[in-house]
Amino acid sequence: MNGAKPIPHWRLLAGVNHMQNWRRLKSAVARSRLHASLMGLFVVGYAWLAYWLFHKGLQFTSGFPGLGPVLIERMMFLLFAFLFLLLLLSNVIINFTNLFRNKETQFLLSLPVPRQVVYRWKVFESGILASWAFLFLIAPLVAAYGAIYNAPWHFYLVTPLFVALFVVLPAILGSWAALGLARWVDRLAFQVAVVLAVIVLIVVASSWLQPETVTDEMLETRVLDVVDRLLARTRFSLFPFLPSYWVSSGITQWVEGALMGTFFFGLVLLSHTLFFGYLASTRTGGIFYGALSAVNSRGGGTAVGWKFWKHKPALGQAAFTPRLLDRLAKLLWWGRGDTRALIVKDIRTFWRDATQWGQSLILLGLLIAYIVNLRHFSHRLTSDFWIDLTSYLNLGACALNLATLTTRFVFPQISLEGKRIWIIGMAPLGMRRTLMAKFLFSTAVSMGVTMALVGASCAMLSIPPGRVLYFTLTIGVMAFTLNALAVGLGAVYPNFREDNPSKIVSGFGGTLCLVLSFLYIVGMLSLMAATSRWAFGGSSTVLFWLGWAVFLGGSFLLGWLPLRAGIRKMASVEI
Amino acid sequence: MIEIDQLTKQFGDLRAVADISLTVPAGEFFVILGPNAAGKTTTIKVMAGLMKPTSGSVRICGFDIGSSPIEARRRMAYVPDFPFLYDKLTPTEFFQFTGKLFGMEDGAMQAEAERLTGRFNLGEFLTKPIEDLSHGTKQRVAIVSALMHSPEVVVFDEPMVGLDPHHTRVLKDILREQADAGVTVFVSTHQLSVAEEMADRIGIMHQGRLVAVGSHEELQAANRDNRLESIFLALTTDNA
Repeated sequence: MNGAKPIPHWRLLAGVNHMQNWRRLKSAVARSRLHASLMGLFVVGYAWLAYWLFHKGLQFTSGFPGLGPVLIERMMFLLFAFLFLLLLLSNVIINFTNLFRNKETQFLLSLPVPRQVVYRWKVFESGILASWAFLFLIAPLVAAYGAIYNAPWHFYLVTPLFVALFVVLPAILGSWAALGLARWVDRLAFQVAVVLAVIVLIVVASSWLQPETVTDEMLETRVLDVVDRLLARTRFSLFPFLPSYWVSSGITQWVEGALMGTFFFGLVLLSHTLFFGYLASTRTGGIFYGALSAVNSRGGGTAVGWKFWKHKPALGQAAFTPRLLDRLAKLLWWGRGDTRALIVKDIRTFWRDATQWGQSLILLGLLIAYIVNLRHFSHRLTSDFWIDLTSYLNLGACALNLATLTTRFVFPQISLEGKRIWIIGMAPLGMRRTLMAKFLFSTAVSMGVTMALVGASCAMLSIPPGRVLYFTLTIGVMAFTLNALAVGLGAVYPNFREDNPSKIVSGFGGTLCLVLSFLYIVGMLSLMAATSRWAFGGSSTVLFWLGWAVFLGGSFLLGWLPLRAGIRKMASVEI
Repeated sequence: MIEIDQLTKQFGDLRAVADISLTVPAGEFFVILGPNAAGKTTTIKVMAGLMKPTSGSVRICGFDIGSSPIEARRRMAYVPDFPFLYDKLTPTEFFQFTGKLFGMEDGAMQAEAERLTGRFNLGEFLTKPIEDLSHGTKQRVAIVSALMHSPEVVVFDEPMVGLDPHHTRVLKDILREQADAGVTVFVSTHQLSVAEEMADRIGIMHQGRLVAVGSHEELQAANRDNRLESIFLALTTDNA
């Protein structure tokens, strides 16, 4: 049976996965040409619009006499430093899922495929999954950078090479971090660690991003000194042991024509990539297997040091003693028991899936860090125009953040009930009430959070109470619409075959939900700003109320229509 | 041959498998029975090398699954309770893939696949995407792909789940033929009738321990009971 010349496992895995993905793509296009066209349009549209905006921005910045090139160069270093950080984070999450929660991994390990090969393949796959979107997002900026400096044609060949070498490092480091997490940290410890990390992030960002006091006199006489002080906070991106420093240096020096410098940094990058690549591809299989075995063996046990957190195993009837969440749910005295049970179940499943709430927490953490820093920023805002602009941009930032959360977490809710429909669909609760319970609960939570955030951001900007009320009510209405849109479209376009929420979101319904949410936010924000009584020159009272009427009517329709369609669809759903 | 020596597997505070020692020689059809959470699947996962034992060892055809996993798995066919299949491939493509992973020649692969797919009536499904197949058909595809490389040891976890009576019969016949041809067959099931009808020896697990091992006749004699069901219930009821 073993007489044939064996085909390398690597080639077999690449072949079978390529075939899988190609067919997945073809069937997605065949299933919905509209979706495929929408996605194609988005890709081309983003690339064009981003390139144009980046080009304009860089052109504007390069126009500062003496300072332009310094600022642009620092921006490139910052770009790659943050890219490195984001790639690292993304690789940790994707590697963890791909190495320890993936059925293909378990399948391959039961076959005569070396652990090292399985690990290598999964890290390669995770690296691509973790990196492609970031690279797509920054590509227009790098292209615009080359265009601004009239870079030669070979700049556009060398840069992808540099970036390709660069992305290998966070992929490997991310996979090693995932191995460490899997081997040593259980779910509860991980949850606590993420919460602490977000708190630390908010505190550090709040103190790190303190503004520099700059007087008019300093701006006129000591410009370089001021710029130097402003850029001091970004100096971490120039740390020479950061891989992002090597890639930024290589790219910026290539543009300047310093080819030897580029060659040097290219070799530094290549040597590190080869060294870590060699270690990962030849020496990590055993460690991976140990970590996988630890994950598979964890069961209901807890890591040492965390046992005091864990609820003691219950015996007999004690297992049914109401927990804190059950007792809290009873405070919703006006709700029906079955509806409360559904909400408690949703909270529990969300909390026990660390990747779900971890992502929400990171998004909210960044927003909180930004809002907390407004208190420093507001002292510099002396003109009404800038205060108005900042307050509307705040509203936009909160709404866009909310739209990301509703699309990512609320939209897949009905689809995720697919395999459990035998319980919920058959229960007296019914699908209509299920839908409404999910909508009301997600709306109440997101309204509470976003209204508090917008209220806080307005307070940081020292806006009069009347306008605080205006912005807070506006985000409240938007929370209603965005949740209704997500729940409604989630029911109209369900995917009952998929368990992974991120895959559910990437379907036609999810894309439509995101696009409609963004269009709604941009449209309504422009309308509200244009009809504002105080901002940007101010409009008449009639226009102001007319603007509100259109906003309320539009918001109601965009929320109610999909919700109604979702309820109708659920009434006749077939699994 | 399967040699399990003082195998223990711990999940935190829970001892899922407790000090099991068992040898299943070549040509024996061994059926492992036990109530839910008795430790059958954990034992099988350790045998397949999907998790390390807390202590003890498992050897497949003389190769330790921990230190020589490739040599051990090359000789083994393993089908878990919920087998993974590439949903966008057709069964034929899946057989080619797994055959090549086992280093099979194209001719041998095709001949063996044709033989087994014929017996499992998979002919009409061979060019359809796996995602479109029913649960039972997918189970048949997984079984064929596992048996194709002529293994020396067969380890199946609940293989009859999802199969209709006709294909359950086919599987039983194939496994019996394998055992008669010298292959070690190790099957976990909840169907006592499978054990009664097929097994050369039966093992009964309860709370991680192997509480009884022997042929049907030996178990009957030791427990002074003719019915496997009552023997099983007596050995696996907590207050027994």
